[in-house]
Amino acid sequence: MFQWFGKVSFVPYTKVSDFARHLKDGRLTGSRCKQCGDTSFPPRADCGACMSGDFELVERNGKATLHTFTEIVAAPTGFEDVAPYTVGLADLEEGGRILAWIGDTIPKDEVEIGMKLQVVPRIFEEVEEIKVYYSLEKPGTTWGVAPPS
Amino acid sequence: MDLGLEGKSAIVTGGSLGIGTSVALALAREGCDVAINYRRHDDEAKEVVRRIEAMGRRGLAVKADVSSYTDAENMVRTVVETFGRLDILVCNAGINWDGVIWKMSEEQWDTVINVNLKGYFNYNKAAAMVFKDRKGGKIVNISSINGMRGKFAQSNYAASKGGEIALSKSLARELGKFNVNVNVVSPGLVMTDMARNMPPEALNKSMSETVVGRIATADECADLVVFLCSDRARHITGEVIKIDGGQYI
Amino acid sequence: MSRVGIIGIGHGVFGRRSDATVQELAFEAFRLAMEDAGIERGEIDASVIAAVPEYHKQRSVAGVVQEYLGLTPAPTWLTEVACASGSAAIRTAWMSIKAGVHDVVAVIGCQKMTELETAEILALMGRVGEVQWESNFGTTFPAYYAMFAKRHMHEFGTTREQLLQVAVKNHFYGAKNPIALFRKEITLEKALASEDVASPFQVYDCCANADGAACVILASEDKAKAMSEKPVWLDGMACATASMSVLRRPHLVGLPSAEKAATDAYAMAGVEPDDVDVADVHDCFTIAEIMAYEDLGFCRKGEGGPFVSDRQSYIGGKVAVNVDGGLKAKGHPIGATGVSMTYEIAKQLRGEAGDRQVPDATVGLTHNVGGIGQYCFVQVLRRD
Repeated sequence: MFQWFGKVSFVPYTKVSDFARHLKDGRLTGSRCKQCGDTSFPPRADCGACMSGDFELVERNGKATLHTFTEIVAAPTGFEDVAPYTVGLADLEEGGRILAWIGDTIPKDEVEIGMKLQVVPRIFEEVEEIKVYYSLEKPGTTWGVAPPS
Repeated sequence: MDLGLEGKSAIVTGGSLGIGTSVALALAREGCDVAINYRRHDDEAKEVVRRIEAMGRRGLAVKADVSSYTDAENMVRTVVETFGRLDILVCNAGINWDGVIWKMSEEQWDTVINVNLKGYFNYNKAAAMVFKDRKGGKIVNISSINGMRGKFAQSNYAASKGGEIALSKSLARELGKFNVNVNVVSPGLVMTDMARNMPPEALNKSMSETVVGRIATADECADLVVFLCSDRARHITGEVIKIDGGQYI
Repeated sequence: MSRVGIIGIGHGVFGRRSDATVQELAFEAFRLAMEDAGIERGEIDASVIAAVPEYHKQRSVAGVVQEYLGLTPAPTWLTEVACASGSAAIRTAWMSIKAGVHDVVAVIGCQKMTELETAEILALMGRVGEVQWESNFGTTFPAYYAMFAKRHMHEFGTTREQLLQVAVKNHFYGAKNPIALFRKEITLEKALASEDVASPFQVYDCCANADGAACVILASEDKAKAMSEKPVWLDGMACATASMSVLRRPHLVGLPSAEKAATDAYAMAGVEPDDVDVADVHDCFTIAEIMAYEDLGFCRKGEGGPFVSDRQSYIGGKVAVNVDGGLKAKGHPIGATGVSMTYEIAKQLRGEAGDRQVPDATVGLTHNVGGIGQYCFVQVLRRD
């Protein structure tokens, strides 16, 4: 399931693989330690604070601020067909940091450190396999969320 | 069985007659707001809406030619605006215009293909746009066992019905990741106006093809369709379910 | 506490060495180091090999190098922390000598970067960061440092010209260094006109892959004083880490691992940043050198840009930095770089750097970073 995540996936197995299932349904999630309440984004199975392995995934609002970015021209294997693309590093309002593509709602010349962003769960629509990702979009961008299963 | 259809919204094409009416009323009975379209039968369409509303649900009848791409777009938009949402599409509208191929005119072929197959494309596409964005939806396309086994003097009808099956399977593949189920219900002969207008020998022949010695009612077809429109059937997609009393095993 | 000294140094030519295997490259550097030390192979107690294995067709590189150098049956093993492998190997050797397990240890940093097919290299390029949350979006090594640069420019007003001045400086000195990959000076104009890699970086902001090897031979204090007339002492040895993932760094305008390693190394050696005469820092990208000036305390945070444009890191400035050409002009055979830096600083402290000599160099420093800053090793070297 985690192999759904990203244009190229290098990680098929992880204890936080449900992250990918929630992303497919339109939900961004982080982890929360059931023992001490410490939260993390990206999610992690083993608590950085108390070392407990008992965790759950909780939904995040995806509001963020752009910390830095770069437009990648020389792309690695698997990304040549989408180069150049802009990768942004954003600080999440609810804590943690995220790396993602700057999406289509933001023209290249409007990308600025400090701008407010919305993390939007996305599906690679035109491929047969299930592949998901997220992008950094203008605040207020909406997207479909599947009903809770 | 609680089908969980309370508060959902559906479109049923060809809902003024036969299977379409049964499906529309069955969905309303389960708690759906239902919009139907129809081509000629204004009075029957109005009656269906009245019966839907009598059940405490919202009903809507739209006069439309299913072979029109823009009519389909408009109807879907209207239903989303009026009911606030769209969860279900049942494509049922269809005609036949029989004849052996050496006597079949170009118009006979084109009309049946446009109303039946193109019509299903028009509505499936318009609904898919909505379902994909909201990450959920149910499509049931009603075909026929003749689309699976062929039928004498129905090359046009059978081609359109067979095409609807291939269309549905392709869409099941495309829309699965958006939590959209696309299935086919494939009836044999059903007791509707289409059947009542057949010569009695033809009717008898069909009945004797079944192993149960009877032909289906529109309500029985509706029960199957309604089940497929529910979340109880969430793991069924790309499937073709015959409802033919064993007419074509 | 006893000191550990460098008694022999050797360096091969860095470049596209399609003329040699990794063990043949290792031998070039080893032979020179042995001649420099004036010892026989039987006097070596152990060797530590630094190489990054995924770039080689030969698996288990340490074994094949040990055999070719003729050092079997002495102990050997591989040490790997990406581009800081060389320093990690030196640290391992230093630890074994300080612990009294060995007296004389050879450290060979050797690397081929060009043995694989282009497609394989490009695939490796995409797995530099954290593959679970970053590489799946197509990040590359230059992209990370480019993001650091963008932030540094945003917070401190660092300019493109200041960044590229690092490249201009390092090519200026590399032109004088016979072991460097690039032996030509460049101009700021030429650098500003080069192709885009990852904004704001262009080709001249980035170091190049290269093949090559370097070797240093370490000895315990007693042995070093007996075997060498000019031992160079490893007086400050520190290593620190930072999160591998840029998503968990406290800030992106410096390397927390470098800051900590520098503090610890200075403390161990009993020196201040102002005492450093000559340094080799990890200029994998232009911004990396500018952040190094700041992390190492050569200037205040944010002032790294003016530091280079005011020529403070040239010979004659506050501290001569990368006057062997740095990674930029030498090329970056990742397993060898840390050893190459140590070679250069030892040469400088011995007064043997010819027309690149920093006058009266007595305290030297190496700053070797692994990957995008998850590891940093800082060494303070001294000559008595």
